[in-house]
Amino acid sequence: MRGLRWLIVPLLVIPLGWLLFSGFGRDPREISSPLIGRAAPAWTLTSLDGETLSSEDLAGRPYVVNFWASWCIPACVDEHPVLAAAHEQYTDEVAIVGVLYNDASADAEGFLARYGDAGYPHLVDTDGRLAIEFGVTGPPETFFVDADGILRARQFGPLTDPLMSVHLSTILPSASR
Amino acid sequence: MKRWLPALAMGGFLAVAALTAVVVLRPGPEPSAAERADVLARGLRCPDCQGLSVADSPTSSAQEIRRQIDELVAGGATDDEVHAHFVARYGQWILLAPTSPAAWIIPIAVVIAGAAVLGAWLLSRRRADPAPPSALTAAQRPRPPDEVEALDA
Repeated sequence: MRGLRWLIVPLLVIPLGWLLFSGFGRDPREISSPLIGRAAPAWTLTSLDGETLSSEDLAGRPYVVNFWASWCIPACVDEHPVLAAAHEQYTDEVAIVGVLYNDASADAEGFLARYGDAGYPHLVDTDGRLAIEFGVTGPPETFFVDADGILRARQFGPLTDPLMSVHLSTILPSASR
Repeated sequence: MKRWLPALAMGGFLAVAALTAVVVLRPGPEPSAAERADVLARGLRCPDCQGLSVADSPTSSAQEIRRQIDELVAGGATDDEVHAHFVARYGQWILLAPTSPAAWIIPIAVVIAGAAVLGAWLLSRRRADPAPPSALTAAQRPRPPDEVEALDA
């Protein structure tokens, strides 16, 4: 029993310290998505250009869904060139679609006029239903769907070139920059 | 009369306890769909707020979730089915209160185990080191001044 005396302090301090220390490195808003490995939500929405686009149109092709907003500054501004570069490099292999998150079409168009329109469609999710289907907690969030329609990866927060490469490799084996 | 007092007090206490139990535990009227939807909304976390429930948040996501809750309740979904609908999209994070009994049991078990270990340690310490009586020798005891001894003599 005397030996137990010396065990009490490490038994209490080590797990508690580990719990607190591991919490420091985590964003409390970053949660793991239960959708990973499951069929991505189906959708049909209208783009800023007025065209109707659906997940059915992208069947058999990997695609990236990027939830963004014109008010999401600087994160959405920071990742904007990353998406544009990926669209340019993988335009034949991967489709990229932007989805407006709680944003007005006019504001989104202003954002694209200012920071550049890479040419991929931006969908208007008026009631936020698609964001809920994907379990979005705030922009920017990006989802990577493979050619079979399975959601393979999710990026919480802004994309960078290395992160884009890592996530693209889950849906496109040839993607390694 | 005094002999009957404890029995009367006990009887009164039991009557009040029984009445309280009946009032608290009796099944109330069936909640309306709107009441059910409100309770469900209070149990779901607003996805793009800090620590607010869907019922308390004005964001468009919260509004859409409330609309979906209304839709599901109107369609005959049970509370568990409504929870499952949102957990499938956001994970358990969307629930403000954990559903797993482990989440309640583990902290209580840890506290009980901690108290048991502490109690066992304190007991073993007391047994191992019984407090020695303060036995002073005659030489160690403080001596009264000589004048006092002289008076005693």
